Amino acid sequence: MTRPAIAPHMWEPLDAAAKMPDLPDQSATRGFWQGVRYRLFRHRPAMAGLLFIIVLILASVFGPMISRYSYFEQRLELSNLPPIYRPYVVGEGRIVHVNASNLRLYNVGADGGIDGLLRPDDRDMVNRRSSWEIDGHALVLDYSQRPPVLSIDGSVAEAGRLSLNRRNLFGTDQLGRDVLVRQLYGARISLMVAAAAVLTNFVIGVLYGGIAGYLGGRVDAVMMRIVEIVATIPLTLYVILMMVVLKSGLLSVVLAIGTVYWVDMARIVRGQILTLKSQDYVAAARMMGGSTWRILFRHLLPNAFGPILVTLTMLIPSAIFIESFMSFIGLGVTPPQASWGTLTSEAVETLRAYPHQLFFPAVAISLTMLAFNFLGDGLRDALDPRLAS
Amino acid sequence: MTSAGRIPLSWLTRRVGMMAVTLWAIITLTFILMHAVPGGPFVSEKMLAPEIEAALNAKFGLDQPLWRQYLNYLSGVLTFDLGPSFKYPGVTVNQMISEGLAVTAQTGLLALICVVALGVPAGVIAALNRGKWPDTLAMFVATLGIAVPSYVVATVSLYIFALRLGWTPAFGLDDWRGYILPVFALSGFWMSFVARLTRSSLLETMEQDYIMTARAKGLPAHTIMLRHGLRNSLIPVVTVLGPVVANLLTGSFVIEQIFALPGIGRHFVQSITNRDYTAIMGITIFYAAFLMLMLLIVDLLYLWLDPRISYGERK
Repeated sequence: MTRPAIAPHMWEPLDAAAKMPDLPDQSATRGFWQGVRYRLFRHRPAMAGLLFIIVLILASVFGPMISRYSYFEQRLELSNLPPIYRPYVVGEGRIVHVNASNLRLYNVGADGGIDGLLRPDDRDMVNRRSSWEIDGHALVLDYSQRPPVLSIDGSVAEAGRLSLNRRNLFGTDQLGRDVLVRQLYGARISLMVAAAAVLTNFVIGVLYGGIAGYLGGRVDAVMMRIVEIVATIPLTLYVILMMVVLKSGLLSVVLAIGTVYWVDMARIVRGQILTLKSQDYVAAARMMGGSTWRILFRHLLPNAFGPILVTLTMLIPSAIFIESFMSFIGLGVTPPQASWGTLTSEAVETLRAYPHQLFFPAVAISLTMLAFNFLGDGLRDALDPRLAS
Repeated sequence: MTSAGRIPLSWLTRRVGMMAVTLWAIITLTFILMHAVPGGPFVSEKMLAPEIEAALNAKFGLDQPLWRQYLNYLSGVLTFDLGPSFKYPGVTVNQMISEGLAVTAQTGLLALICVVALGVPAGVIAALNRGKWPDTLAMFVATLGIAVPSYVVATVSLYIFALRLGWTPAFGLDDWRGYILPVFALSGFWMSFVARLTRSSLLETMEQDYIMTARAKGLPAHTIMLRHGLRNSLIPVVTVLGPVVANLLTGSFVIEQIFALPGIGRHFVQSITNRDYTAIMGITIFYAAFLMLMLLIVDLLYLWLDPRISYGERK
């Protein structure tokens, strides 16, 4: 083989201002996990998902701590307040808000937050009107027509621009509890369930699948028969049955999900171990006298880590879904605890009058599920670039 | 060889035997679980006189030793008798199931048809237009469909289409339009899932050698994809149909609740809140048996679709 000759005059110093040209794919020159991280960081939806999850975790941990409300404190006179409203100005600096659904009048504080109920001086149920006497002004709410009309000193009042309810940014629910705090508390519950699902999958699922796959033979057959029996029935059904037996509450939800949620993981780990265990390095490790446990934990499982990680991120949204599903049908967390499922089902009760109450829990759970799905997709593509679409 | 010839009797017997073992395990498990519940089935706010409670226990056979109750229940299940409801006097669990079955089967079947008839074409269209706007649009909708929980789809669409626009009734199935929202909410997730699966599976199949052969022969691209690619790429889709049926069943718990449909799912949730133990046990066992039958059908379908698979040889 002849090498192309490079004459000395062809070597020239590079211009000091010139930069190294970008390599087309830097991942090829790095280690496996560096490559994975590189590809993951370039996956925009996955990064957006990760960012959302981090923000959600921080908000759910610190939000309820710094809020002036608690998730269970009820203020019945301030129930069903909206997050945004149209104010009415009554004379000098006095602002009120009309709730068109329960026909009540609320006082708006100097901070722009709805802070008190104004009780009517007269209620004329026959002619469908209520009247108030505020700062020398006569206010009349005529609800014989829809939407109700507020008049101040005899003339129809004009509603102002949409403004934020600064005391309860997400409004209040039917018992006057702050929706924002309850949302964040719901996020806590969802994330706790996610953490529990991750833990059981990791401990039980990986161990179960690993042992079955590595030992093989009769042990494998028996263990996988058990998994097959468990997997025949949808997990929702098991969780429901467990909830019937246990008292409802957060701990029971976690326990119920934990007992049955490792099955998929066990199957995937077993499949991985089955293909890995015939590789030469396993034979070498065994020849050198490595114990079964050592080979399983030091050689086999670390090599199956990629698929384990992907399965884990894919299982988190389904665990979060199961919890909210259970809470929605009334088998999950117990009141006054708030989960996204119970918040949604509470919002359904007031759907006709206050549809906005459905908005926050529906968006919260959808965004969270979306974030975990994006992260899972990104991880899968980063771990196996051939699969990337 | 014909496809029937590839189903060996030994495989079928083993499969059915396995189903019987699974069913037995489920019956035993639910029996144990329901008898592990603290307090008897007749413990409620109203205190019953001890004589009445004893009479009730004797009537339902609860005064007998546990193993005898178990054997009684097992023989009942084998003769398709799931026993009486504890909470509704004079109603048997069989009656509850047969009452709700029509509604659940109708919505479930329609949802299954939607999953296949809309999910597969959406995936094919996306794959045919890879990288272009139909692909982006279909995958965007499918990603949303996978992320948004069914009960959110149900409540939000109930609000928009039934309460706000008044296009569909808010509950009941008296009118054909009543089916639209429940079926849509029930099938949304799996429609999206199947669309994504069909797309990625079809794109993967298109990289196989025989596709290259077809291309080399000069066949048009669409013919190759639809005639040669689609059949093989549908195999993963058939594999998920078993879980789809299972999830349409459990999904119906919440959908039937939201739209007030008198199906089995609603009976099930109600019997849970009523602590109607025989009904819970009976409906669970019914679900399990039904699902295993579905999984068997999917396995047979799978065999017919993919000649490379043979269940005869042991791995």
